[in-house]
Amino acid sequence: MRNKINFYIVEYAINSLLRQKYKTIFISIVFSILVFLLSSLFFITNSIKYELKQTLEALPEITVQKIKAGRHYDIDVSAVDEILNIRGVSSAVARVWGYYYFENAGVNFSLVGIDEYEEQYKKSFVEVASNLDFTKPSMIVGEGVKGVMDKSYYKEYFNFIKPDGTLKRVDISATFKAQSELESNDVIIMSKDSVREIFDISQTKATDIVVRVANFNEVATVASKIKLLYPDTRVITKDDLKISYQNIFDYKSGIFLALFSVSLFTFFIIIYDRVSGLSSEQKREIGILKAVGWRVDDVLREKFYEGFIVSIFSYLFGITLSLAFVYILKAPLLQNIFIGYSQLKTSFNLPFVFDIQTLALIFFLSVPIYIAAIIIPSWRSATLEADEVIR
Amino acid sequence: MVSLINVIKKYEVNENESVIALDKINLEIKEGQVVVLRGSSGSGKSTILSLIAALSKPTSGEVLVDGDRVSKLPDNFASDFRRHTIGFVFQKYNLIPTLSVKENIILPLVPMNLSEKEIKEKLQRVLRMFNIEHKGTQLVKSLSGGEQQRVAIARANINNPKIILADEPTANLDEKLSLSFIEIIKELKSEGKTIIIATHDPLFFGLDIVDEEIEIYQGKIV
Repeated sequence: MRNKINFYIVEYAINSLLRQKYKTIFISIVFSILVFLLSSLFFITNSIKYELKQTLEALPEITVQKIKAGRHYDIDVSAVDEILNIRGVSSAVARVWGYYYFENAGVNFSLVGIDEYEEQYKKSFVEVASNLDFTKPSMIVGEGVKGVMDKSYYKEYFNFIKPDGTLKRVDISATFKAQSELESNDVIIMSKDSVREIFDISQTKATDIVVRVANFNEVATVASKIKLLYPDTRVITKDDLKISYQNIFDYKSGIFLALFSVSLFTFFIIIYDRVSGLSSEQKREIGILKAVGWRVDDVLREKFYEGFIVSIFSYLFGITLSLAFVYILKAPLLQNIFIGYSQLKTSFNLPFVFDIQTLALIFFLSVPIYIAAIIIPSWRSATLEADEVIR
Repeated sequence: MVSLINVIKKYEVNENESVIALDKINLEIKEGQVVVLRGSSGSGKSTILSLIAALSKPTSGEVLVDGDRVSKLPDNFASDFRRHTIGFVFQKYNLIPTLSVKENIILPLVPMNLSEKEIKEKLQRVLRMFNIEHKGTQLVKSLSGGEQQRVAIARANINNPKIILADEPTANLDEKLSLSFIEIIKELKSEGKTIIIATHDPLFFGLDIVDEEIEIYQGKIV
């Protein structure tokens, strides 16, 4: 009989919460906000980590840039053949790309040039190259770019302003979505010739050269050989880029940690308040229940239901709010902390990353702790002699 | 029915000091009797009731109810014993003010997980018995002292216990309500219940329904 769920105790617990409705509402709101904040931080971090991983995986092993007076200049395309002669290099591609500032919307687009017959240095470009019409000025744009252009009524084509002030019209032939939003969102892909024309880059020059090395262990050796060959260049390996990406991310994670700590601190203040004791009213109620024949486990069961109802409701509500905030509303304010101005100005959709571990972590950081904080003082009170409490 | 054998009860004031509330009490109360424990405040009457109800344990000695040593019962068994055998009417009623009359009365039934029908039947019986049917949905805090006491008596009787303990039942009532309480006691006695009343109200002294009056003074039977 006693093993069955006693719905009268559940009902009593619900009524008990309703009797203290203002307190219950207050605790539920604070609890939900904390779960919301914690889960939003976790969701954003997970999404950006995922983006970062995708971005890093797509990076070339070595990037060679010409440096003059400490600034990045266009490099001679002829360097590609010299680099290909270095033992261990499997491919070297001269890239033509740059940032185009679209004043109307106040955003930067990343213009990337590709060649129809050239080996694509990014996997995601292979399909793009097959869809791009190289016979006329056309482009394939990222979803973020498409959105910005649509707002400015450039639905079928876009007029780029060249350095000499004349316009270059390029048709929008399609939109593309790469594995990583961070990477693709502000990207416009068109023929190298079009990019050269828009940025006034001559046929003998390129923005930089990306090099693939067959054996990962030889990357450092190949990089040093390139450096010897071209002392006026900056040779950046994938590891260097990973470190700088990671540094930015770690810095952002520091802010995350601060927010996380504040949330937890607030939560534990509530917990401390709960554990530190019951009001004389609550103690008396437990005493009365004991006096009329409730066992200690009946009292604890009732308190468990109270804690469970509040915490599970707040947990689910906080998580739902957070999912809507991060993935539907695109995490206004919080997203900027993690992404920052420099990476993107066009809208950025955080990819939905479902991580059961994150949900479990937030659950275990909140629900059982709160329930314990309800049960421990009640247990202390329930194990006292009832006479002592109600006198 | 109820026996107290050499019962001593001490309350610890602090680490070095304790107060003797009961000093070697020996008492025998038979089934169906109405017994009045008389004495001034602090004499130890309420402590005796508390020990019989297993709400506290004696420092030494034994309390027996129906031959069972209730003074040695583990906490959970003591709760079961109270639920089935004892109906306690506390001096300050000990009702939960934010619950309704009905909710207060059925409190002892909640852990028993009875069917709704059984609960309804038991509730109707006591509501009728103590004439509070029309007050069922009202919050206890909105009731008068006399009504609150009737709710407390109804709660004490919901499980039809063998023993009713009443601690200063008329302390907060006027004479008319006190007389009405005595009528209730008569009715309960007629049902064969054992009733133990701790009081210093002279209204109970020499009453024909009272089988025995026991005077308590400074923790001892005089």
